[in-house]
Amino acid sequence: MSIIDGTDAATDTLAAGSAPHGIGTSVPSVDALAKAQGTYPYAADLWAEGLLWAAVLRSPHPHARITRIDTTDAAAMPGVRAVVTHEDVPGDAMHGRRVADRPVFASDMVRHHGEPIAAVAADHPDTARLAAAAILVEYEVLEPVTDPEKAFAAEPLHPDGNLIRHIPLRFGDPDATGEIVVEGLYRVGRQDPAPIGAEAGLAVPRPDGGVELYVASTDPHADRDLAAACFGLEADRVKVVVTGVPGAMGDREDSGVQLPLGLLALRTGCPVKFVATREESFLGHAHRHPTLLRYRHHADAEGRLVKVEAQILLDAGAYADASSDALAAAVSFAAGPYVVPHVFVEGWAVRTNNPPSGHVRGEGAMQVCAAYEGQMDKLAAKLGLEPAEVRMRNVLATGDLLPTGQTVTCPAPVGELLKAVRDADLPPLPDGDDESQWLLPGGLSGAGEPGAVRRGVGYALGMVHVLGAEGTDEVSTATVRVHDGQATVICAAVDTGQGFTTLARQIVQEVLGVEDVRVLPSDTDQPPAGPAARGRHTWVSGGAVERAAKMVRTQLLQPLAAKFGMSVELLSIADGKITSYDGVLSTTVAETLDGKELWATAQCRPHPTDRLDENGQGDAFVGLTFCAVRAVVDVDIELGSVRVVELAVAQDVGRILNPRQLAARIEAGVTQGVGMALMEDLRAPRGIVKRPSLTGYPLPTALDAPDVRIVKLVEERDVVAPFGAKAVSAVPVVTSPAAVAAAVRAATGRPVTRLPIRPQAAVVKPPA
Amino acid sequence: MSTYARQAAENVTLPSSLDEAVAALAAMPSAVPVAGGTDLMAAVNAGLLRPAALVGLGRISEIRGWQYADGAALLGAGLTHARMGRPDFAALIPALATAARSAGPPQIRNAGTLGGNIASAAPTGDALPVLAALEASVILAGPDGDRELPISHLLTGMDPMRPGELLAFVRIPLLHAPQTFLKATGRTGPGRAIASVALVVDPARRQVRCSVGAVAPVPLRPLEAEQWVAGLIDWDGDRTLADEACTAFGEYVAAACIPDQPGVELPPAALQLRRTVAALSRRALGRALA
Repeated sequence: MSIIDGTDAATDTLAAGSAPHGIGTSVPSVDALAKAQGTYPYAADLWAEGLLWAAVLRSPHPHARITRIDTTDAAAMPGVRAVVTHEDVPGDAMHGRRVADRPVFASDMVRHHGEPIAAVAADHPDTARLAAAAILVEYEVLEPVTDPEKAFAAEPLHPDGNLIRHIPLRFGDPDATGEIVVEGLYRVGRQDPAPIGAEAGLAVPRPDGGVELYVASTDPHADRDLAAACFGLEADRVKVVVTGVPGAMGDREDSGVQLPLGLLALRTGCPVKFVATREESFLGHAHRHPTLLRYRHHADAEGRLVKVEAQILLDAGAYADASSDALAAAVSFAAGPYVVPHVFVEGWAVRTNNPPSGHVRGEGAMQVCAAYEGQMDKLAAKLGLEPAEVRMRNVLATGDLLPTGQTVTCPAPVGELLKAVRDADLPPLPDGDDESQWLLPGGLSGAGEPGAVRRGVGYALGMVHVLGAEGTDEVSTATVRVHDGQATVICAAVDTGQGFTTLARQIVQEVLGVEDVRVLPSDTDQPPAGPAARGRHTWVSGGAVERAAKMVRTQLLQPLAAKFGMSVELLSIADGKITSYDGVLSTTVAETLDGKELWATAQCRPHPTDRLDENGQGDAFVGLTFCAVRAVVDVDIELGSVRVVELAVAQDVGRILNPRQLAARIEAGVTQGVGMALMEDLRAPRGIVKRPSLTGYPLPTALDAPDVRIVKLVEERDVVAPFGAKAVSAVPVVTSPAAVAAAVRAATGRPVTRLPIRPQAAVVKPPA
Repeated sequence: MSTYARQAAENVTLPSSLDEAVAALAAMPSAVPVAGGTDLMAAVNAGLLRPAALVGLGRISEIRGWQYADGAALLGAGLTHARMGRPDFAALIPALATAARSAGPPQIRNAGTLGGNIASAAPTGDALPVLAALEASVILAGPDGDRELPISHLLTGMDPMRPGELLAFVRIPLLHAPQTFLKATGRTGPGRAIASVALVVDPARRQVRCSVGAVAPVPLRPLEAEQWVAGLIDWDGDRTLADEACTAFGEYVAAACIPDQPGVELPPAALQLRRTVAALSRRALGRALA
């Protein structure tokens, strides 16, 4: 599926004979073989002697008042060991990752379909499920608020009100106008992160009255603090141990699972295990914010942008979660990676009774990209220009201002990226005499007919921030130990599949010249490293590992340097050997260590950021990353079926740390974007989630995934980032849906204002 | 001590012949027969169904293959989609092979069976319109012996399966005639049909038979459109039709399957479905005559 012609030089290290080593090489992941063989342990594989099984009772209604909960029958069932409800939460009743507005168990109100109400521990999973079903809950069913536009005027769904955040952004002159004006209304659906492994966990009570949670957490310390507060325990009596993570697109774990699990373990004194069904997984975890966007672009006669006006409405679902962050990104990047002198945006995140929304990579930025790129296509059509040309006339560069008033100080090679995808060769048209062997929309031996298929080419430029924004304290701590020719990294940064473990090994190999590097599993006994999101671990945790490794290096070389009367900088380490610049000194690491152990711990904390002020202004972001995608699609214009033939990607990566891993991240992100563009939308009419299964919620298969062609990776180092590297995973997700929509627009001439693109939106109606 | 008594093992029988299976069903009237389990086990896992007992059909070798019988193919109900998708089968009944290939991802096709597709009778069952267009019949094995009935009688509920009966074989007349199956899914990978069309051009009986799947609870046969287009074909000549005739046929089929409601404007979704059916029928006829 992948075609890479931008990174040949780096991937060739394998062919050169020596095993890949250090930064910039394709060091393979240690757990790749175990994962391929199915022996890698995930939370669902865990076992403890005498464990009980948990089941969670969830609300069948999106909005209802609870008038009575009776657990008598359930508790009396043979095999049932504990039943817990809101009355059994010893600590804080409310929790939340950013705002504590979500109850552990619904007590008086349920606010979304699937909200946890009670949990059961029993000696068999079926017994637990039957007991959960036997809990009597009386509801007074209320009218759900499911249209975010109606949330403003609706009765408050929560004591905190229905408006979670409002950001007005005012930049430039409100009265500015352009000769050309285009308007559009865009909608983005509800994408589910659909991790390949559903939520699971094991809670084990400790003799000291504490509890250990074995879960696939992506932010163990935050999960620990949240759990400790709910259990009414000091933080050090709760330990979160990170198990294998079976796929994470954002905040992986559903606290609606971890908290009941811990409560049940504390209550029964037994280990308790929970494995969510796929349906529970869809109901429990956070989704991408469904968004409504209204845009007006003003441009001059040459196609240069004058003003962008936008209204952005995010459906946050029942609880705040990461909506504030998503809204900040949506508002800040509302105009995209373009220079616009005047920008006026109103953004709102509102509460509804829809399934909860939260952090799914590229949140906020992905939705606005679909809209502003739709506007750029409209502008091109109105001006009679090529879509790529209009974009080229407006691209952002280093030194330009974002609409938030922040100056872009990092590399922003947007024009170079666009040029790379525009100039790349187009994929060939299907050929061969046997038309039945052509892969047309609808698949092989499908309904596609060459005469009804139109090819379209579309462009999109996307941007997203790296690290948490608006004053989040982004810090990570890592420890490096060297003993006996082997190095060990201790860092609570979770490898969710993004490859942090491999990167940490590469860094230590590079700095210390030690080949054998082990990265220990993460838990909360280690110092915090923060969430695995927004490319944080490449930056802050990678940075912390590098600093700690350098400190160890100094400890190792200092005595040698002193002995030989030269500075540490004149010594180098490679292949376990230490040599001086002049070759006079040559010894080994093991000999120098002489049985000693060297330890160092270091932190990495990037420069602080500001919260957006009342005009949406402020230096809110530490770093930015950019991407250009050219999509080539085939559309059957009678049936509306779409096949993405190829996505050409050019990306701003700062520095390539691991070419193979980098390519895999881009391919994965682009494929997720294709899902968003064509098929993924968790439907919830009247607040009830429809068909929460992997049959009902289609994900891209190998046949749907396009050829991903990485045409250019721009390596302009970001001087403030460790190694100058930028995070790579999120920006392809942000950009590729908009590119697919643009290509379908080009193929059909239809406006395509909604994601995912439904077949009826890609049909060209015959002239009446 | 666990409250859970592992009853499953005792309540699953694995007969090795049809007669044993029928006897097992007679002995346990509450038992549910299971073949590939792609629909049944999903319902069990979702907690929607708790069969008291299961009769597994996987070891009955006589229903896992096919044979010839008097100008017809006698297909075992236990034939998997994967088996039906192979070239040797495709040479025999091409439309059914195409339907089987599009029935889902490989894991589903390896397990799911022809009989299961009929027994589940989902509106989107891919084999069903093909069987309807081929005028297949089903052979049910029961305690009182076998009986054979047209597939349409079974699917529409005119002549439902009786207690203790088991779907054993499907009889399909071998036509040596062009046949096609087309399915619209909106995506490139395997997916549920938005609409599907199976079409057979049968020179022996001078008939065109067309069946539309997924738009109604059972496959629909637009009989008038079939007769109209059969009347246009020069059966003794080169059997071609003008593009306009194919287009008109498509619209005829679509209007028959998604009829106008008197006094009501059809919603956009229904109009779109009608356009889809029209395009599929037109293409199916065009390909069958090509």
